[in-house]
Amino acid sequence: MRKMKTPAVLAALMATSLFSIGSMADSIIVQSTTSTKNSGLYDYLLPLVEADTGVTVNVVAVGTGQAIKNAERCDGDVLLVHAKASEEKFVASGYGVSRSDLMYNDFILVGPADDPAGISGSSSVSDSLEKIAVKQAPFASRGDDSGTHKAELRLWKSTAVNPADSSGSWYRETGSGMGATLNVAVGMGAYAMTDRATWTKFGNKADFKILVEGDTRLFNQYGIILVNPAKCPDVKAEAGQKFIDWMISETGQGAIANYKVAGDQLFFPNAK
Amino acid sequence: MVDTQPLQIPRPPSVLAVQGLSLKLTDRTLLKGIELRSFEPGITLVMGANGAGKSLFLRSLHGLLPIEGQVSFAGRPLSETLAEQAMVFQKPTLLRRTVWQNMTFAAPSGSTDAEIENLLRQVHLAEKALEPARLLSGGEQQRLALARALLTRPRILLLDEPTASLDPGSVSIIEKLIRAASDAGVKVIFVSHDIGQARRLASEVLFMHEGRVVEHTPADRFFSAPDSIEARAYLSGELLIKPQTTGSPEQ
Repeated sequence: MRKMKTPAVLAALMATSLFSIGSMADSIIVQSTTSTKNSGLYDYLLPLVEADTGVTVNVVAVGTGQAIKNAERCDGDVLLVHAKASEEKFVASGYGVSRSDLMYNDFILVGPADDPAGISGSSSVSDSLEKIAVKQAPFASRGDDSGTHKAELRLWKSTAVNPADSSGSWYRETGSGMGATLNVAVGMGAYAMTDRATWTKFGNKADFKILVEGDTRLFNQYGIILVNPAKCPDVKAEAGQKFIDWMISETGQGAIANYKVAGDQLFFPNAK
Repeated sequence: MVDTQPLQIPRPPSVLAVQGLSLKLTDRTLLKGIELRSFEPGITLVMGANGAGKSLFLRSLHGLLPIEGQVSFAGRPLSETLAEQAMVFQKPTLLRRTVWQNMTFAAPSGSTDAEIENLLRQVHLAEKALEPARLLSGGEQQRLALARALLTRPRILLLDEPTASLDPGSVSIIEKLIRAASDAGVKVIFVSHDIGQARRLASEVLFMHEGRVVEHTPADRFFSAPDSIEARAYLSGELLIKPQTTGSPEQ
């Protein structure tokens, strides 16, 4: 039985009830990471999904960690996040039917134009993080168990620094989403790691710029999973699968590739 | 005809110039419109009670905070001098690698093993070159941090209480290196609470109080006849406490 819905889910459903023409049977909830929403991708894709499949998609955009927890509580029909190890564990534990690669983008390190740590143009993200740490230049971290936060911690593990030793000093955990964390970074002149899509759409860049990009360790893979109806009987499996099938189809993958902001492609489809 | 125009003698650019330096974080103004021109090439000591803004001021001079205003060294803006600056913190961040690898991490291109060995010898760490840096004592870690900073051949060296809580041996080694760097032409700006150390090292003193520089004076004059009431209180060991509006002295 589907458990009590979170306020975010209820809000999404209420919003849907105002605008949805399709039947509730074809209305699904996607537990999602924030970057796909902040980047504007859903605003572009979901009308296409509805036109092609008749499925209305309601998105609950939270950090990846929270999205997985919500799906484990049977809040949602589909999971769309970016933390492959956690996604595979979600499926292995029986909460998901199967996982498909969907698309990728990349993470980047951004910071003030003056670049006090001198990392601009570096091809090594771990070297850059070590320079930031040694210089004790402020670094704003999501600190919210999101996919981006997990990816950032994985990168720190590849360095010779434990940023937790400096928590509250030069290393500041905001406990917030990507947009809020970028605002904090700009406010305090701090470096930050962000997905490129959110950065492209971010409107408060001030003198900040992309300083490090292109390291293969900054690759950011998104996956899509149907929540398992065997664990969560209220899951709208048929509509959920329709949505997934469309997203990984040639049409869906083409639409993802076509989504651009200021001429830049933000996500790169790679469903197999 | 006699030229009556006054003779214009070009003045050299100040070693450090600060114009309207303010720092606001989370709606609090922490540094308040600091104006400063220093022509002193020697060691500048920054002093003041806890919370006066000394560390924030130093970090601002190193480009680590989003300040308003202008900072320049020898007439060049901060954006141009950052690469020639090094800073040593009260709690340095050392890499979880050996002493030697911490040095090579900071080594600019062209530096040699001999240079690294020489610096490690000067901070009495040559024998520990292959030991993990994080297992060093506090004094040793701070000496390594200073050696690492000097390896970058800085023209400006910023030091934020690098000898706080260290044993006298480490303090002596660090002071010797700081003096040698200054003698070699490095501009040193040093935050310290240690009045004895300040007397030993300082050429001039900036005294800060509540986010402002309230006194900027040659060191000998500062210690013999400070101008500001705040500096006099500090040097005599008094705390300047604002009047309490509620509560008893016991509280």
